[in-house]
Amino acid sequence: MIRQVSIFMENHEGRLSNLLKILSDNKINIRSLNIAETMDYGVVRLILNETDKAIEVLKANNIMSLLTPVLAAEVTDHPGGLSRLVDVLTQAKINIIYAYSFLPKNTDNAIIILRIEENVFEQAIKVLNTVSEVELLDEATLLLK
Amino acid sequence: MYWNKSYECMPREQLKELQLERLKKMVSRIYHNVPFYRNKFQEVGMIPEDVKTLSDLQKLPFTTKVDLRDNYPYGLFTVPLEQIVRIHASSGTTGKPTVVGYTRNDIVTWSELMARSFMATGATPHSVIQNAYGYGLFTGGLGVHYGAERLGASIIPISGGNTQKQIMIMKDFGTTVLTCTPSYAIYLAEVIEEMKMEPESLKLKIGIFGAEPWSENIRKDIEKKLNIKAFDIYGLSEIMGPGVAIECECQNGLHVWEDHFIPEIIDPITLEVLPYGEQGELVVTTLTKEGIPILRYRTRDITRIIEEPCECGRTHLRIARLQGRTDDMLIIRGVNVFPTQIESVLLEISEVEPHYQLVVRREGALDTLEIKVELSENLFSDKISNLEKLERRIKGRVNSTTGINAKITLVQPKSIPRSEGKSQRVIDLRNI
Repeated sequence: MIRQVSIFMENHEGRLSNLLKILSDNKINIRSLNIAETMDYGVVRLILNETDKAIEVLKANNIMSLLTPVLAAEVTDHPGGLSRLVDVLTQAKINIIYAYSFLPKNTDNAIIILRIEENVFEQAIKVLNTVSEVELLDEATLLLK
Repeated sequence: MYWNKSYECMPREQLKELQLERLKKMVSRIYHNVPFYRNKFQEVGMIPEDVKTLSDLQKLPFTTKVDLRDNYPYGLFTVPLEQIVRIHASSGTTGKPTVVGYTRNDIVTWSELMARSFMATGATPHSVIQNAYGYGLFTGGLGVHYGAERLGASIIPISGGNTQKQIMIMKDFGTTVLTCTPSYAIYLAEVIEEMKMEPESLKLKIGIFGAEPWSENIRKDIEKKLNIKAFDIYGLSEIMGPGVAIECECQNGLHVWEDHFIPEIIDPITLEVLPYGEQGELVVTTLTKEGIPILRYRTRDITRIIEEPCECGRTHLRIARLQGRTDDMLIIRGVNVFPTQIESVLLEISEVEPHYQLVVRREGALDTLEIKVELSENLFSDKISNLEKLERRIKGRVNSTTGINAKITLVQPKSIPRSEGKSQRVIDLRNI
């Protein structure tokens, strides 16, 4: 299981740069970033190299954040690599709420971050562990990739 | 616990006799001493002797804030200035302030009613009262102050603002009773929370909050955060100041001290007197005031009168918690909306912190209402669909409560400005 840091952000000039500055000032590296947006606000989703420190730093700067458990799945980086993963979840009737890519530095494989409903989270892990083409990573392993 | 049981628990028949006797004297006093009132009586063709029963009061003219301004500064005083020992004024948002004067007896009465009010909430001569109402022309500070001294409690006249010092004193001086506006109480509670201070480390037991309307949900919130019982107090300088009405330990409506005031509820449009239980504008007549007695003052506050006897044993009528002011009432596309209505909706929807702002605009010929709601940790979700669901729920509840189709905007926590005094909940950008 990977801890993703989610941050609510109004669509105003400078909000994102303020967040990025706080992280960089505290030497926190962003390994993956995804922004979901609506007309008035967005939710910034981050995988960070130092999650615990980030939580403290954000709190100290009055930025509300939420830790969300997500999955990181390593699959081969060629056409169809992702389908196996999606298929097996579909068969198990497990819905993916959202997904985005994580860019690894030390492997040629692709890594996908998946957000699954809490109530089927464990089931999703079980199902994915049965698939040889998919490897679920823990946080420490992910950050080394 | 009562301060003056024979008056506070006086049988209603006897109380009404006392009111009538005092009303007759009051009417005669203003008629003979204030040209403004004499003219008003003549306009409706009445003389003081026409007041034979309490219901005759309904035939008498109203007094409004405009009347007080027109007679600025001393025109409605019934005694010469040499008998006035104190002058208060309420800030006029437009033009001149409204000025009120108190004789020595008025101060005695006011102190007595404040002492009664303190006792009704459970405060005693042993209480240590931290008075964070502003001292000055505003009646809140000195009104509470004199009442606390009359009660025999220890009063800390800290006045408003300087939150860090307030908290230090609260802790070090062993404050047991806090008096301030409800919005300042929320602010104090938040700061205490941020300082990671346990409310149990304070001796605070009672909060007496007034000078602005607040909801039952805000009460629960303050009570939980500060670990106290919170009471609503009502008053206005034109009538006296704080202590016109107070919630007793039953926390179910505010007793109006009827041996000194007569409350009525009117329809603010037709000006007809409404039966007990119906919501409308509160009108108050002073019975004993000497400096500036006021006949049927239109308070602009919206409430209803609760007639049922109260479990506390006090016989004086209660008014329900204020629903807002006719001034605060927003008319949006012809619909009357009170900020407090929106507030109760927000609080109902899973503990949204009571931080919101209403922005009214006119787009073309249409009024629009935007409700900015601060997101709290328990409402935040990384799923956009959940946030949209939340917006829809708020929108739906606001619509079913007020009939208004509002735009809901979720905003970051602590992004709506906090005030140390009265909060600005409404921004009206319509140029009408």
